Amino acid sequence: MSTPPTVKQLDRVVIRFAGDSGDGMQLTGDRFTAETAGFGNDLSTLPNFPAEIRAPAGTLPGVSSFQLHFADHDILTPGDAPDILVAMNPAALRANLADLPRGAEIIVNTDEFSRRALAKVGWSASPLDDGTLEAYRVHPVALTTLTAEALKDSGLTRKDAERAKNMFALGLLSWMYHRPTEGTERFLRTKFARRPELAEANVTAFRAGWNYGETTESFAVSYEVAPAERAFAPGRHRNISGNLALSLGLVAAAERASLPLFLGSYPITPASDILHELSKHKNFGVRTFQAEDEIAGIGAALGAAFGGALGVTTTSGPGVALKSETIGLAVSLELPLLVVDIQRGGPSTGLPTKTEQADLLQAMFGRNGEAPVPVLAPATPADCFTAALDAARIALTYRTPVFLLSDGYLANGSEPWRIPDVAELPDLRVEFATAPNRPDGSFWPYQRDPETLARPWAVPGTPGLEHRIGGIEKQDGTGNISYDPANHDHMVRLRQAKVDGIAVPDLEVDDPSGDARLLVLGWGSTYGPIAAAVSEVRAAGGRVATAHLRHLNPFPANLGAALRRYDRVLVPEMNLGQLALLLRARFLVDVRSHTQVSGMPFKAAQLAAVIEENAKNTEATGAH
Amino acid sequence: MPTDIALTPKDFKSDQEVRWCPGCGDYAILAAVQGFMPELGIARENIVFVSGIGCSSRFPYYMNTYGMHSVHGRAPAIATGLACARPDLSVWVVTGDGDALSIGGNHLIHALRRNVNLKILLFNNEIYGLTKGQYSPTSERGKITRSTPMGSLDEPFRPLSLAIGAEASFVARTIDSDRGHLTDVLRQAAAHQGTALVEIYQNCNIFNDGAFDTLKNPATRDDALLRLEHGRPYRLAPDAEEIVHDVEDPDPTAAFTLSRLRHPTPIGVLRSVRRPAYDQLMNRQTAGAVAERGPGDLAALLAGTDSWTVRG
Amino acid sequence: MTYVIAQPCVDVKDKACIEECPVDCIYEGQRSLYIHPDECVDCGACEPVCPVEAIFYEDDTPEEWKDYYKANVEFFDELGSPGGAGQLGLIERDHPLVAGQPVRAA
Repeated sequence: MSTPPTVKQLDRVVIRFAGDSGDGMQLTGDRFTAETAGFGNDLSTLPNFPAEIRAPAGTLPGVSSFQLHFADHDILTPGDAPDILVAMNPAALRANLADLPRGAEIIVNTDEFSRRALAKVGWSASPLDDGTLEAYRVHPVALTTLTAEALKDSGLTRKDAERAKNMFALGLLSWMYHRPTEGTERFLRTKFARRPELAEANVTAFRAGWNYGETTESFAVSYEVAPAERAFAPGRHRNISGNLALSLGLVAAAERASLPLFLGSYPITPASDILHELSKHKNFGVRTFQAEDEIAGIGAALGAAFGGALGVTTTSGPGVALKSETIGLAVSLELPLLVVDIQRGGPSTGLPTKTEQADLLQAMFGRNGEAPVPVLAPATPADCFTAALDAARIALTYRTPVFLLSDGYLANGSEPWRIPDVAELPDLRVEFATAPNRPDGSFWPYQRDPETLARPWAVPGTPGLEHRIGGIEKQDGTGNISYDPANHDHMVRLRQAKVDGIAVPDLEVDDPSGDARLLVLGWGSTYGPIAAAVSEVRAAGGRVATAHLRHLNPFPANLGAALRRYDRVLVPEMNLGQLALLLRARFLVDVRSHTQVSGMPFKAAQLAAVIEENAKNTEATGAH
Repeated sequence: MPTDIALTPKDFKSDQEVRWCPGCGDYAILAAVQGFMPELGIARENIVFVSGIGCSSRFPYYMNTYGMHSVHGRAPAIATGLACARPDLSVWVVTGDGDALSIGGNHLIHALRRNVNLKILLFNNEIYGLTKGQYSPTSERGKITRSTPMGSLDEPFRPLSLAIGAEASFVARTIDSDRGHLTDVLRQAAAHQGTALVEIYQNCNIFNDGAFDTLKNPATRDDALLRLEHGRPYRLAPDAEEIVHDVEDPDPTAAFTLSRLRHPTPIGVLRSVRRPAYDQLMNRQTAGAVAERGPGDLAALLAGTDSWTVRG
Repeated sequence: MTYVIAQPCVDVKDKACIEECPVDCIYEGQRSLYIHPDECVDCGACEPVCPVEAIFYEDDTPEEWKDYYKANVEFFDELGSPGGAGQLGLIERDHPLVAGQPVRAA
């Protein structure tokens, strides 16, 4: 018998699971995340996978990984560097080694370290033997053999049995970090309900991994990370990814608006999960239409909106490019429509599975003519829920297409979310036009609400309100075709004024000391890294204010004043400075851009260094 | 859907001045459609005309129903969304040879294969009118136009062959000036469950005048036309065998053969087969989901299956 | 609405309009041409080609010729809607309004 293992208390851990695309690393990560969420830690995740479904096995491009950061306190990012790496093969080790700080732990599957596998990634000798890993605490584990051994009585072929090695690894990690296991066992039995022998094999491998940790001296230490009680508001919580939160937000918006939800979409990474998710909820009256192309996706959504549905189209940047003409039509028709862009690396096909924020200007201006469209962006995975409701509010209230800019990082990342009460969700009910709106008993489809400038939404089937709308310029009020110069000028300004007049909340600036001279302003998914970096800088005594933009069009009314209060404004973005360009143009403020377009989110520590330097420089420049 | 309301053609005329070129075949089609609409027995508010871009696409403005003049080629996609969201409506698409077969070809074929409940009126004048006279995807090869001064090089589409290839369940052809025939075809299209494609030979008297003259001229038309009627025999050539026309034949071979025929040119319904309409299937799935799982419970959906409670 | 052939056509019958009409709805009477009010599709092709400016859009018919609207309608009372003038050729009669006009010198 070994001596009872030592238990160490930690306040936070970053784990990265890495393996071949076919090794099931995303599933392993998801399960560990679910266990961790159920345990009550705060957490944030970063899946990272290749665009190829199955890149050649054992190669560097084929490596898929899943990073999870969990803690006993409030955290904002998936972590800069892993404390522990699980490497299922040499490629996974080689691809991730550079990210590991000295002293990190590595669990390697030694079974895969054959000469041939090493050669595939350019290693002539095994890094397990040649000192490459000297700086790390390495746990060599024959994961494949041990899994096959544990399943020798399962009746499965050796090949099938070996496929459960990710569950062995999950079991081992679950033991190391004292994760609850019932959820995973229940999950496996549900997932493989139709193939009970596979369910049992996976459960057996999972338990074998746990027991391996318990009994092997190689693992002398296990870790506890206490639940993050203070990080959460009281109430029920679940772990949620951005795309799931966005999908639920859309269903909730339709329910709160008492309108049927219609999604017209063409599959595209990383947005397809929303199509998949909404397709499951037909009992909410949700209609999902997988169109022949991106253009038909938005066309069908717009047609449904004309018919009185909450029309939504979901896509990524390349799809937005194709939808531009129809978005312009929606601007001209003044019908509600949600355009959800899960941004990915561009230009062109770019980096389908990586994240970027480079569609901001496309959303703002990517149409012919003056075609203003409101734009908003969620800040975190869970925030995608609220952002979807807010986007629906704007679309329905102002009868306009609305851009919702999420990105690959938010879409696939996850975090705990306090489940809201339905009653606390905004009331989005709309009134369709039901009666003529002119003294002579006629109906003018472009007669506007004086406050919102929205036009009436008169849906087919309403007697007496028959009308024709189209993309040709129309006379304000009557909606009749008009080529009159003065009317066109009026209409262009009116459509702009309608969007400019959309009610959005003021920007909240976080400036705890009240005397910061540097403002760090972000938008979208950079919220987590910026907030984490800012708190690092403050912890080190730096003075810095921070604010985050939800609404990019229109901007909050107090934005200009907020920018002018600071000597320097730093805008970190995952593009080449698109928000910075807008701010400079709009407010004549000399904002500084800090940009990164690597397809990966900012690392908090690197961002903290940039912020610190900017803060110092600002202080050094003397008084205002 | 039919109601007791008694409407007249006049009820379907909007207050907008019709602005096609004098003599355009579109006028005849508009008059025929407005003349036919009362027969449908559908209230005006339950009828929607959707169009794309082109001369013919101005059509919805002249119909006193609901209507949308959309963007080039996209009418079938927009109408698909509308018909799926609102299966209670009678949705008509008005399009031209450029709109439907060139820029919007993809949407047309997919609408046809899905069999969405749309009535598509394809005004085929074998030329681009609104952009002033370039050749279209149905122009004959060698067509001299402003964009092809030495003659066009591409082989034209035969719209009905394309439609049959795209699994269309209803395919017909008629002629703008033959009001009786046009109305009869519209009647059959309207009664069809799913997508009905009606190709209407339409004269552009400005850029392609007389394209269909042999089919219209009383002196030549009897020889030039093959008038198809379900259950009636026809011959593909004067000395060919008689074939009894069966629009309901599940095998599209005979209809396809007819769609290739030029001399004589078949008019009438080539094919009309029963197949469930896409919008009905979609709404049946939605209803089935409700029947199976009950109406959606938002609170339960938000809660999910894997949640935990944090106490304050 | 429809187009109307008025008094200037009487005893002229130039027939340029018949060439233009895309739906063959202009019928030939003994002394005048007549537009079939139900078959006309309002395309306006006939109006500019008439050498004697006899064709008017119904609403625009000059006051003195307003009655010609009735003449164009009533001419078809017996005929109904033949669906094309070509097949009928010359119809050897006229509406009383036309028949009552003094004969124009050739």
